[in-house]
Amino acid sequence: MRKKELKLVVTFHTTADAMAMEQACGEKKVPGRLIPVPRSISAGCGLAWCAPLDARENILEVMKEKAIEEEALHECMV
Amino acid sequence: MAFCIACFIRDTAGALGLHSAEAVQYARPEIIGLVLGAFLISVATKEYRSTAGSSSMVRFVLGMILVIGSLVFLGCPLRMIIRMSAGDLNAWVALIGFILGVLILSLGTSLLKSSTSGPGSMHAPILLSLIGGLIFGAVAQKSRMCFAGSIRDVILMRNFDLLTIIGGFFVVMLIFNIATGRFVPAFDTPGVIAHSEHLWNILGMYAVGFAAVLAGGCPLRQLILAGQGSSDSAVTVLGMFAGAAAAHNFGLAASGTALDAETQELVAGAVPMNGKVAVILCIVVCFVIAFTNNRSEGK
Repeated sequence: MRKKELKLVVTFHTTADAMAMEQACGEKKVPGRLIPVPRSISAGCGLAWCAPLDARENILEVMKEKAIEEEALHECMV
Repeated sequence: MAFCIACFIRDTAGALGLHSAEAVQYARPEIIGLVLGAFLISVATKEYRSTAGSSSMVRFVLGMILVIGSLVFLGCPLRMIIRMSAGDLNAWVALIGFILGVLILSLGTSLLKSSTSGPGSMHAPILLSLIGGLIFGAVAQKSRMCFAGSIRDVILMRNFDLLTIIGGFFVVMLIFNIATGRFVPAFDTPGVIAHSEHLWNILGMYAVGFAAVLAGGCPLRQLILAGQGSSDSAVTVLGMFAGAAAAHNFGLAASGTALDAETQELVAGAVPMNGKVAVILCIVVCFVIAFTNNRSEGK
């Protein structure tokens, strides 16, 4: 099994925002991927963006540029 | 047959006096158990969170669509899987519609909150139903079991976690059905409460898949989310009751293929004209909701 690492996890208000995030990060070559929202964050079942901790600045920049609003930023083991 | 959220909501709506179709009136302990089970386990594991979000009225309408579509097909996604496992080919046909409905995700609509002698007379003993519902509710809460969500995760993330749960459920039911000789691969099996109007099976489930994606979960998931504190889902569930009432008050629900008790003739189940019009309207409404909520950049 893959080793769990501390990652930056961004949750969104809507699935569409999460999908927009995937597209935007793809265009800007910002690292990360879509994952199901980790259980430790919410018992819900949405999508979240998971990225290395050091990509935080890049990610915030992309979100500002594309007007993607996060629900919350978490640091957790994924 | 076994377990169906749309049918149980319909029966409960009947028991509450929301419609007067006599064959389908019974306050299903399973529904109560499902919500209670999800509530209790989420409180016990500290996952209960009271949340409310957006678009209450739209969610209400989506709840109605979920049940109207289901009652035209004669079953919610859960029952679709159960019917598939019993060999009912109509359910396999309907699966096409359901998947197509979920595929609407590609539109990227933004309503979804990511955080967030009639059937009525055939029922299990009350206590057993309640306990069954409680356990199933708790399991569904822990596993995040969702029929729409499982297909969504595969499409968007190539993530098979949720689909595995549904797949496991299907395999268990399949083995059970084969072992007990209930597996009959056919279209018109009397007693299954199904009909073979393929187009309407597909369109009914298409509406359900579409509405489920917009509302963020299939009928089962809505109940569970309501149990763990989502007011959004609770509104959707209220809409489901209204949809069930409308389906039977306005003659939208389909009838199942059955054996006439007197003549021993097979009477084919059918979707009434009202039901066909309602399904088309439901799909149109889904498109309107999807496009008016489409994510616009820089809003």
